[in-house]
Amino acid sequence: MSGRLYNPMSLDNCSFLVTGAASGIGRATAIMLSRLGAKLICADIDKAGLEETLAVLEGTGHLSQVFDLRNIADIDKWVIDACASFGRLHGLVHAAGVSCIAPVKILSIEKYREVFLINTESALALAKVFPRPKVYAGSNGSIVFISSAMALVGSSAAVGYSLSKAAIHGMTRSMAIEYAKKNIRVNAVAPGFVKTSMFDKSKARWDEEQAARVEALHPLGFGQPEDVAHAIAFLLADTGRWITGTILVVDGGYTAQ
Amino acid sequence: MDQFYGKVAEILEVNEVRDGDVLKDFEAWDSLTILSIIAMADSDYKVTLSAKDLDNIKTVGDLKTYFENHEK
Repeated sequence: MSGRLYNPMSLDNCSFLVTGAASGIGRATAIMLSRLGAKLICADIDKAGLEETLAVLEGTGHLSQVFDLRNIADIDKWVIDACASFGRLHGLVHAAGVSCIAPVKILSIEKYREVFLINTESALALAKVFPRPKVYAGSNGSIVFISSAMALVGSSAAVGYSLSKAAIHGMTRSMAIEYAKKNIRVNAVAPGFVKTSMFDKSKARWDEEQAARVEALHPLGFGQPEDVAHAIAFLLADTGRWITGTILVVDGGYTAQ
Repeated sequence: MDQFYGKVAEILEVNEVRDGDVLKDFEAWDSLTILSIIAMADSDYKVTLSAKDLDNIKTVGDLKTYFENHEK
């Protein structure tokens, strides 16, 4: 019997693009994927945060890319150019996103369009360029979008955010069908409240009673970025080989009630 | 700060507001309105405001002064 440990989530010899890698779920994902053996393009608008992420990744050959995903029309060229020097990809994780806490009466067109641009449209633009021969390595492709428990259940002051994340669900399912023949799986992970800087910003607006009420809605408490990173890695690796068009809810039980 | 009174009036669902108006006396004063004020403070004035801060702000005029003193 071989003494070698069997790791079904090994990502040796695999390469991925992770957006939002400067902080939160994106950073935790990049770290997890590197620990599993992957080589990464880490992208974010935050240069300093990216440098901190790169400094803690395992392995070598990772690439840092400062890019503003609001430049939708440039995403195509940016990804192709990055892959020209880095090499082609086996998958992509779109973890970049912005929150939007605004009751409908003050939700401006400009605000919800900006949220939709970053959270949803850029996801589509990234997924659109991914299958190109200059980008996709051609086998066992996997795209993971980050949606949200807010796309599954309602909450006051969450319309702008919820609509951007609910759109991810529809996109995931249809794209999974369309991309199956290219051997590219498409899935989404829907986190509940995870302790990130985005969460801290929301929490700062709550009073103590609100904070306690929200935490009580999570049977397993608030999540950690690593909880979501584990799910993403599961979907990217061979462990996700037969999974596509799925929304994997990782929320400590928030939506089970 | 030009459009402050107009924005606050819109959030409080009234035609106009004055400095002396007590925030909690408005019919629309509820948790969503509080969130709206906090969101407006952040997006329009770059002012960080919490629900706890708002507890100590009594009138529309107090709110304006708070924004003027904390605007980045």
